[in-house]
Parts: sequence; structure tokens; C-alpha cells
Amino acid sequence: MNTIIFAFAGKGGVGKTSLSAAFIRILSEAYPEKRILAVDADPAVGLSTALNMEPTLTLDDIRLKIAESIEKGDTSDAIELLSEARFHLQDCITESGNISFLAIGRPEAAGCYCKVNAYLKQVIETISENFDYVVIDGEAGIEQINRRVMENITYLILVSDSSRKGIQVISTIHDVSKRLTSCKKTGIIFNRVRAGFAPSAISEAAPVLAVVGDDSEQAENDMQGESVFNLAADSPLFCGAKAALSALIGEDLT
Amino acid sequence: MKLFDDVIKEVRALLPDFPDKAEYFEERLCAESGDKNALLFRSDTAFELGGSGKHAVESTMFTSFSEPEDEVLLFGKDLEEITEDVSFAHLTFIQLKEQSEENLHYEQLKNIGFSVFQLYPKGYHIRISPSAGREQVKVSKEALKRNPPLSFMNIGCSLIRLLKTQDDVAYVKTVFITCPDVDYPALAALARKAKRITDAVQKTLQLDELDCAACKMKPICDEVEGLRELHFQKEKERKNHAT
Repeated sequence: MNTIIFAFAGKGGVGKTSLSAAFIRILSEAYPEKRILAVDADPAVGLSTALNMEPTLTLDDIRLKIAESIEKGDTSDAIELLSEARFHLQDCITESGNISFLAIGRPEAAGCYCKVNAYLKQVIETISENFDYVVIDGEAGIEQINRRVMENITYLILVSDSSRKGIQVISTIHDVSKRLTSCKKTGIIFNRVRAGFAPSAISEAAPVLAVVGDDSEQAENDMQGESVFNLAADSPLFCGAKAALSALIGEDLT
Repeated sequence: MKLFDDVIKEVRALLPDFPDKAEYFEERLCAESGDKNALLFRSDTAFELGGSGKHAVESTMFTSFSEPEDEVLLFGKDLEEITEDVSFAHLTFIQLKEQSEENLHYEQLKNIGFSVFQLYPKGYHIRISPSAGREQVKVSKEALKRNPPLSFMNIGCSLIRLLKTQDDVAYVKTVFITCPDVDYPALAALARKAKRITDAVQKTLQLDELDCAACKMKPICDEVEGLRELHFQKEKERKNHAT
């Protein structure tokens, strides 16, 4: 399957999770016959609330299970560890309609588990092959690009508000992603900006896909912990996400 | 190899006297191969063997057969008769070739054991937790609608064919259990014991020198007849080889 992978990155608090959830809803409704994998790669684990899909197990839970068995002296071979990871991975996937949800979780344990992390990355990559679309809500900042967690993506969507810091963060991510990822196209969504905002010089490096103003309905929805599926289809967030997605994939979804 | 024989006797005592189905290996019965990375979505799944917290036991043991044949046995309902998640056990007994037993190597045993992780029949999605000794299988609705529908005989023949690609394997018997009244916790305990024996054999074959007093396998070596002999025989062979 020719899987299309969207990854969202940017500073914390700029609305990556809401936009990721909006992308997932749009794809799910526009292509009901397609399979969509939503990956919550943000340790803050907000995407599950935005989609109303609660995971029973996260990838980090699996990592810890395997790491614990290694610490206890279990010298399992690579193939056994991979089988173990695959076994538990299926319990991490929550399904609702044509959407499947997978959470990375909060990596809190100290120490280096590169071997285990490498297996998990391999497992995620192979799982992704089962889906038409994968939408990754990335961790705030640059770490996941730096550590090549988000290496093989199709579209990188940089999200910023109008703050200087937000723009600096996406500028850095954009520079690093050019070296460390193989993405086909990068674009920017300016979110929660006030009227009269003019995209700055960063937009010369990557096209602006959408500019979304303050969305009081979305803010209220967020405060109440409601799913993005409860948002009106003509809300500013939803319209901005549709415009951005249309620009990326070259199909009019608005 | 007789190391597992006592465990196998105990396993046999837990099963009904006669299987519900039995077939000798036939190439034409092998299941169609699927994609090893394929996921089976809930809407496409008929049921999961060992799913919904039901028992799910997996074990591979080495033995010598009184009747050397490649065979698939089923105790309980076949796939087309199952309508919901059920308790499940899958046990595989392997007889090594005589010369392979005499020159047993760590890599041989390891590769044979790993074969079970390489089986990907279409519509029969196996997942194995080696640490928990669990094998759960999602069966697709599509596989049961085929004519004829997918059966344990197809899966067993595929596993036998896969195992017999290993040079050291002489014969294979693979047993599927779906009877509701089998003592699955007792089967799971025997599977764990078999895993400890395999680990002990592998450790004996893998390491150059073993200090029994410090080895975590000591309890199982004390319990299973033949493990100590294997250890000392291999150590003697290594010393002879070194001089």
C-alpha cells in the first residue's frame, strides 16, 4: 500500500493536536473506504481526547515491558523481542470506524533502550503499511525530527501561532527536517492568529497552507475535553484544516 | 531427544483420548500465504483464538516419535465451527534427525524454535508472546467464507512444511486444542516448563563454560533427567576439541 504520512510539528500550545484531529476527521469523512492511523506521538497525549479514542496500552508501556525483561536478565534474541513487540502492539491499537489510534505514551524511564526503541520503530513502520493515511501528532519542539522518529513522512506540517518563538521553532524544525527527513512537501499553518497578521519571512522557505484565526468554538470544545467530531464543519479550525489538506494532496476538500 | 518426554506425557494426560480430527501432512492442504505485516481490523475479524482474556498456550518441544509421521491433530472445534473468542492451545512436537541430535548446536535449536514466528497464513493472523508463552490468532471473516473454509489442518500443514525446510527436522506433529473442558492453566504450566528446558539446553550449547552453582538454570537441570548429562557431555567435547 502506498501510505501517505502527515506529521505535525511546532512549538507547544499552538494547536498541533486540534489540527491533527481535524485532518483525521476530514480524511475519515472524505474517504470512508480508506484506513487511517492516528498516531499520538506527543507525550502530553491530547489526541486521544480530541478523537474520543482512549488507548488501553501505549507504545511506551510495551517498551517498558521489554526493557524490564532485559533488565531481569532475559537475553532474548532479536526475533523474540520483535515478536513480543508485535504481540502487544495489537493491544495498543484502538479502532473506531475507519480510524485506528496508537499512542506513543510518556517515556519516563531513565537509561538507554536503543535496541528496544529500534524494534518499536521498525514495528510502527511495518504497521503503517496497512493504512492509506497516517497522521502523526508530533511532540512539541525538534526532538522527534532530531532522533529520526519522524524520518519517513510524506508531508510535514509546521504549525505556529504569531509569536516570534513559535516562528523560530518552525524555522529550526524546517532546517533540520531538510537534512534528516525524506518528506515530499512541507507547509505551514498559522493558527490562533489575530486579524491583520502577515506571515513573516519563514513562509518564503515553505508555503503557507492556511491562516486560522481565533476559534472560540474550538477553544470551548477544547476546554470541555470534547472530540473534534463535535465541531461545526464551518468552524475556522475545520475550514483552515480543509484548505491546508486540499493544498497538500491537490484535491479540493473544502 | 528425551528431555521433554516427561512433560509430553503430562500434556497427553490432559487431553481427550482421541482427537476430533487428524491428518497426515499433505502439500495440497497447506494454507495460502499472506502478508507478514498485514493487520486484521476488527470489522474484518470473525473471532480471536485466545482473545478476550481467554487462555492461549503455545509451546514447541523436541521428542522422538513412536510412529514417525508428520501429522496435524485437532482436539475441539475447527475454525468454521467457532463463532466467538475461545480458549486455545497450539503445541508442536519435533523429532530431530539422528545425526543432528548427536551433533546438536545452539544455532540449530534456535533456528527451529524461531520458525514458528515466520508463519503468515492468509486470514490467520498469529501473534506470539515468547515471554508469556501465549499464541493468539485473529481469524478473518473472509477466510471462513472460502470454499472450503480455512481449517486447522491447513495451518498445521503449513507449519510442518515450514519446519521441514530446516535440515535438522525429521518429523513434526502439531496439535491444536479448542476444547472448552481442557485444563488450560495446567497446559500453560507445562509449556513454561518446556520453555525452561529449551532455555537450559540452549545455554548449555551456547556457553563455553558453565558454573552450575551460579547458573539460574540449575533448578530445571536438577529436575529434568538428561540436562546435566548433556551439559557435561558438551563440556567434555569442547575440552577435547581444545586439546
